[in-house]
Amino acid sequence: MKATHNVHNFLEQFWPSTVDGLALGSIYALIALGYTMVYGVLRLINFAHSEIFMIGTMAVIGALHALGVSSLYGGLGLVGFVIVLAFLAGLASGASAVVLELVAYRPLRKKGASRLAALISAIGASLFLQQLFARIVIPEAFDLPKEKGALPVQGHFVERDNVIEIGDLVISNDKLIIFVGAILMMVALDQFVNRTRLGRGIRATAQDPETAVLMGVNIDRIVTATFAIGGAMAGVAAALFMLRFEEAKFDVGFLLGIKAFTAAVLGGIGNLRGALAGGLVLGLVEMYGAALFGTQWQHVIAFSVLVLVLMFRPTGILGESLQQARA
Amino acid sequence: MLLEVKDIHVHYGKIAALHGVSLEVDEGEIVTLIGANGAGKTTTLKTISGLRPLSRGKIMFDGADISRVAGHKRVLSGIGQAPEGRGIFPGMTVTENLMMGCYARKGDVSRDLAQVFELFPRLAERKDQAGGTMSGGEQQMLAIGRALMTNPRVLLLDEPSMGLAPKLIQQIFSIIQEINRRGTTVLLVEQNAQQALQVAHRAYVIETGEIVKSAEASALLDDPEVRAAYLGGGADRPVGGSEPEQAAGAPEEPRDG
Ligand SMILES: Nc1ncnc2c1ncn2[C@@H]1O[C@H](COP(=O)(O)OP(=O)(O)OP(=O)(O)O)[C@@H](O)[C@H]1O
Ligand SMILES: [Mg+2]
Repeated sequence: MKATHNVHNFLEQFWPSTVDGLALGSIYALIALGYTMVYGVLRLINFAHSEIFMIGTMAVIGALHALGVSSLYGGLGLVGFVIVLAFLAGLASGASAVVLELVAYRPLRKKGASRLAALISAIGASLFLQQLFARIVIPEAFDLPKEKGALPVQGHFVERDNVIEIGDLVISNDKLIIFVGAILMMVALDQFVNRTRLGRGIRATAQDPETAVLMGVNIDRIVTATFAIGGAMAGVAAALFMLRFEEAKFDVGFLLGIKAFTAAVLGGIGNLRGALAGGLVLGLVEMYGAALFGTQWQHVIAFSVLVLVLMFRPTGILGESLQQARA
Repeated sequence: MLLEVKDIHVHYGKIAALHGVSLEVDEGEIVTLIGANGAGKTTTLKTISGLRPLSRGKIMFDGADISRVAGHKRVLSGIGQAPEGRGIFPGMTVTENLMMGCYARKGDVSRDLAQVFELFPRLAERKDQAGGTMSGGEQQMLAIGRALMTNPRVLLLDEPSMGLAPKLIQQIFSIIQEINRRGTTVLLVEQNAQQALQVAHRAYVIETGEIVKSAEASALLDDPEVRAAYLGGGADRPVGGSEPEQAAGAPEEPRDG
């Protein structure tokens, strides 16, 4: 009886869950790109990437404050507004990621420190940035009492309406923009990495850094570019996230970051297309799982899937590819 | 002198891999550096290319001290290398691999590409194949062709014959001679001493991080010590007189990268 009720609920929720899953998964995918690119090039899990995302959300809130948004945006106006916000957030996150690398990782790399040292530095940088924003940046920037735990809530700016309605399949404008925006960014990045000189440099460094130097590739510049691009993608993800949720706080990146990292591993870490696949699969699994077993199980289901995939396909769904198996 | 290595010392952590290696390569020459496993041949080439820092000594290229110049800049000034293990980018096609050779160069490279394809017709046939799926011999050709795409003044080759069938080895060595005839200086690292000494003008013998002999290549071919140690002449006693275990016993270490 309970089981049939669940299945019934799932069937009823199928289309809404699919739409929600794809929208959520798109955001995971965009954030996952940063993890996967940095891992591909440096074999480093950039723990502080979740804070790079958080900085993007703060840039959006800052922009909304600065612009003094009072009316709701809808239709094409919303699309244009989101592009502006995504650009600003991408800039803020990209620049922060570059600074993060310069301060927290490059000195260690120059000294030839172990990967464990770099990982510890990453965790330290993550906590540092969270606390910096919770205690100083957010209260100061948004004129909030410090004990409020740095919780800037921005008034609404999105006028939601449904742009597609076909039977049970209902897609609201925000979810459509999130999905389309994420796909466009992924396609652009894919083209960039495969067609431009800098993109070839990134691939070469990921596949064999020493040989890349023998080709005249400046590794430092490649690393900077990698952090900038991965950070910018997280910034765009932040703008899309704000479109849906319209609020954020200092630790907004924590769970999302872990989920995005899970997505990167699911798709095969180091693989750009894998990040997209992993993100969408994870978003869908979470939403279908929530419809089947209840929303309280959403995170449990997400991480159970990770464990299962790693047990049966340790290289993820698509396997490593930015670097491939090192020869 | 085009390339002068002067008394360089190189360490991995606290362990010295090279203690005082000196060698010279003149414009137009083929010079070979021979030695047993773990003697320091690869380390020497990596240091010349700027992949390893040196703790003493210096490297001069075309009259300038390049000891502290970053590796990627040395490529532009004319030091090209086909590394040990070939270093093919597995996920890139043959053409993409070759084009990586002119990553840092400006200007038209279609002539260089045509020349590499003429030198290695095999690569032209497999333009669009992924580098990682090529055979060992093809990968070696690709590695040499890619190094040529950097338009080097001196070409460093690290064991180009490694793991190849005898017929292919012949082919690779005659291509090396052809490359040299066309005007590129070559520094050739080999364990296959017989072949290397036959194509080279001059040679150095390295043992446990030190140069123990240097002479005309033809003279070393007749040198009884060299014959004994490196040309299958029986007694496996290294030239420098140290114990064989010390000279050749360094196990293959796990390498990063
Ligand atoms: N990455 C590394 N870390 C530590 N030690 C190293 C490393 N690379 C090389 N060595 C050591 O340095 C010494 C010289 O090694 P190198 O690779 O230069 O020798 P080689 O003459 O090229 O040998 P082979 O003929 O086997 O290629 C060896 O004792 C080796 O174990
Ligand atoms: Mg070697």
